[in-house]
Amino acid sequence: MRRTKMRRTDPGGITSNQILGIFGTGYAGLVTSVCFAELGHTVTAIDKDHDVVARLSDGTPTIHEPGLQELLTGNLESGRLRFTTKAEDAVVGSDIVFLCVGTPPRADGRADLCQVEEVARTIAPLLDGYKLIVEKSTVPARTAYWVDWTIRRLAGPNREFDVASNPEFLREGTAVQDFLKPDRIVIGADTERARSRLLDLYRKGFHCPIVATSVTTAELIKQTANAFLATKISFINMVSDLCEELGVDVATVARGVGLDPRIGSHFLNAGLGFGGSCLPKDLNALITVAEDNGVDVAMLREVERINTARVERLLAKVDRALWVLPQKVIGVLGVAFKQDTDDIRGAPSLGIIPRLHSAGAIVRVYDPAAAQNIQKLYPPNDRLAYVASAVEAARGADALVILTDWDEFRSLDLGGIRSLMRTPIIVDGRNLFEPARMRAAGFEYHSLGRGEATLRTVPRRVPV
Amino acid sequence: MNICVVGTGYVGLVTGAVFADLGNDVVCVDNVAEKIATLQAGGMPIYEPGLEEMVARNVADGRLGFTTDLTDAVRRSVVVFITVGTPATDTGQTDLGAVEAVAREIGRAMERYTVVVNKSTVPVGTGDLVREVIERHQSRPVPFDVVSNPEFLREGCAIEDTLRPDRIVIGAPTQQVAMTLLELYAPLERPMIITDVPSAEMIKYASNAFLATKISFVNVIANICELAGADITQVVKGMGLDPRIGPAFLQAGLGYGGSCFPKDTDSLVHTAAALGVDFVLLRAAVETNAERAGHFVRMIEKALAPLDDKRIAVLGLAFKANTDDMREAKSIEVGRHLVELGAQIRAYDPVAMDNARRVLPASVVYCDSPYAAAADADAVALITEWNEFKFLNLERLRAVMRRPVVFDGRNLWEPERMRRLGFEYHSIGRRPVLPA
Repeated sequence: MRRTKMRRTDPGGITSNQILGIFGTGYAGLVTSVCFAELGHTVTAIDKDHDVVARLSDGTPTIHEPGLQELLTGNLESGRLRFTTKAEDAVVGSDIVFLCVGTPPRADGRADLCQVEEVARTIAPLLDGYKLIVEKSTVPARTAYWVDWTIRRLAGPNREFDVASNPEFLREGTAVQDFLKPDRIVIGADTERARSRLLDLYRKGFHCPIVATSVTTAELIKQTANAFLATKISFINMVSDLCEELGVDVATVARGVGLDPRIGSHFLNAGLGFGGSCLPKDLNALITVAEDNGVDVAMLREVERINTARVERLLAKVDRALWVLPQKVIGVLGVAFKQDTDDIRGAPSLGIIPRLHSAGAIVRVYDPAAAQNIQKLYPPNDRLAYVASAVEAARGADALVILTDWDEFRSLDLGGIRSLMRTPIIVDGRNLFEPARMRAAGFEYHSLGRGEATLRTVPRRVPV
Repeated sequence: MNICVVGTGYVGLVTGAVFADLGNDVVCVDNVAEKIATLQAGGMPIYEPGLEEMVARNVADGRLGFTTDLTDAVRRSVVVFITVGTPATDTGQTDLGAVEAVAREIGRAMERYTVVVNKSTVPVGTGDLVREVIERHQSRPVPFDVVSNPEFLREGCAIEDTLRPDRIVIGAPTQQVAMTLLELYAPLERPMIITDVPSAEMIKYASNAFLATKISFVNVIANICELAGADITQVVKGMGLDPRIGPAFLQAGLGYGGSCFPKDTDSLVHTAAALGVDFVLLRAAVETNAERAGHFVRMIEKALAPLDDKRIAVLGLAFKANTDDMREAKSIEVGRHLVELGAQIRAYDPVAMDNARRVLPASVVYCDSPYAAAADADAVALITEWNEFKFLNLERLRAVMRRPVVFDGRNLWEPERMRRLGFEYHSIGRRPVLPA
């Protein structure tokens, strides 16, 4: 049993710069690469895709992330960062190899570990002396064990290496900042050598607590943290349904609840639930690990179910507000899974837009950044258009449906919007507006968890 | 301000004492004459750090009194707090009998405009009920208002929680009524939330239900850790450093007990059902919590079986540290199971043993120190996280035991230390320390 070492990194400590190989150039891989290069390490990042490597070598980021462009350009110029398709460039001569490849959810919800296994198989014959192999992608607990086993089987005897875990806690939209100024660094290592190598890497430039623990525990930390945040969101969404029945405002309840410091106000916004590439996937992966081990996780299953049901709840509101959908014009505001990102993975819009469309509505979609990504999935047709502004989406619309909490929607010119719409109906999946204000502005406004301001203003009696 | 507090349990006494301490004239009312007699004589019916001193001080200064005469107390007061018990019925619903009875009497007594404040934890919608009952029983049709002002006290630090609450929630029908309460709380200078009555009631339930869910969440993860070979204390350390999560209420163990969480979670499940919402998530959290004691007993059974005539020292009986409260304490279920399995129990708790005698099996032997409880024991089972157990002389403990086996239901000790001291050590969500 190892004890946690909570230590502060020493900003003045002298650490020699290391040679790092990084597999994968997605969100985690690219941000990890440019940030380690920025910290003075020599970084070689690998991607199988020639186009991606060409674009990145050219200084063009493949994802939208504040601060990334500058770091990419600067570190390419300094020569500390390069991109290649050849795995040996990242492995031979390097001190540490990071696994940042994708672990997308499979159809059954489990993480697809094909890419992780492929990297393990690729690395095995290239080992030249002691190598530290670090999982940074979010992987189910005990993945490190299988990576270790795979390499050991293929690398032949007497190869020296360790597999460690160092999960990323990056949030899209603030990933660079999250990498350089994290809340905590988690290091999972089962040997002293691996542990000290990783501690060395983070000694310089970081001022946050470090949790050093076993590999399996580190793997679990990431999933558990995300599963908890998902639980928090699903919890408040259930309370939101109760508030709706009572005719009271979930925002007030959430404020009262969130002022308890043991709870905190984060992740207590009722609405359409969680999306993105992390929370749904990590929650599911944790459920899988649990059920594989025979642990009853009815609670976590329910967190998942509540989230899925949010889309239905919003669609029911649209139905109730518009009665019949065929030929109704519906403006959809926002498709990204949250604001400040072009990412649509796991976004509620993916469930809602096709449903509105197949119900016969004429759908006009606007998103400040993510419209291009969703167009690839749902190409425009005679009843589905992508427009350039919220105003365009509202023109002649029977209703507006808000699916993402973009700031620019909060500051819409409501009077102008209303005058453009055929009927001033807004169904707000993100509770961006005050019901009273919307009523005053002449809208029929439906949101989640705040009673139906236009239908019922008196709190309902509860039989006690 | 003249205030009357009806009910002299935890909430009533602490509320009364603190408002008196802030300079108000407070009279506390109870219909149990012996309780009032005890209080009038300077005695304290409950154990709560600092309360006795505060009550004595304010009684001496003439700001705090006790009476059984509700009518007189109501007539003298501008604000009447209802702080009577709201126990759970067998079906998990809340028994509002006492609230209703008090509302009836307040109605009969009322002679002028009065603000009636519900401070007891009552199901969402009770505000309406109280208003109707008062209306129906008023002897004189004077105006009044019913306000919800839920308490957020924790036993063991109730005074501090009342003086420095994280937030003050006032649910009032109008802004004007809210101002009366605002004035009363203004000296505390804490964040206030002014809202309608049902929202205020909901805030209390949703807060406790979320905290209960947080505890159960961690306990589910602890179960996963036990089987996956991970360490729950490090998992929660890693996740608790995320400021959106926070480290509070992330301790894996035997789960929650006491008079609030079990009752409030059940009650919210019922309220939800009455509104047509099936709160499966909360039901799952409740079920997870209900399984904790059984999980612990199975851990003991697995290591010691058969339990016949095994002598087990149980350390800590109260539902949590710093209280003598035995309501829904995990020691009750653990103790009953162990006795059923044939074990002999020798128990020790710093303050809860008197209360425990009433609820634990008759065969339990009570000892006056942890070492006396552990003498010749085959194992020690730690149930309550009292600070004094954290600083126990473990060498001495081991020396008096027959077999050095410890089951730690609250992860109070470090496994590495227990190994060095030569214990076989089983805790929650961590690998056991087994004899070499």
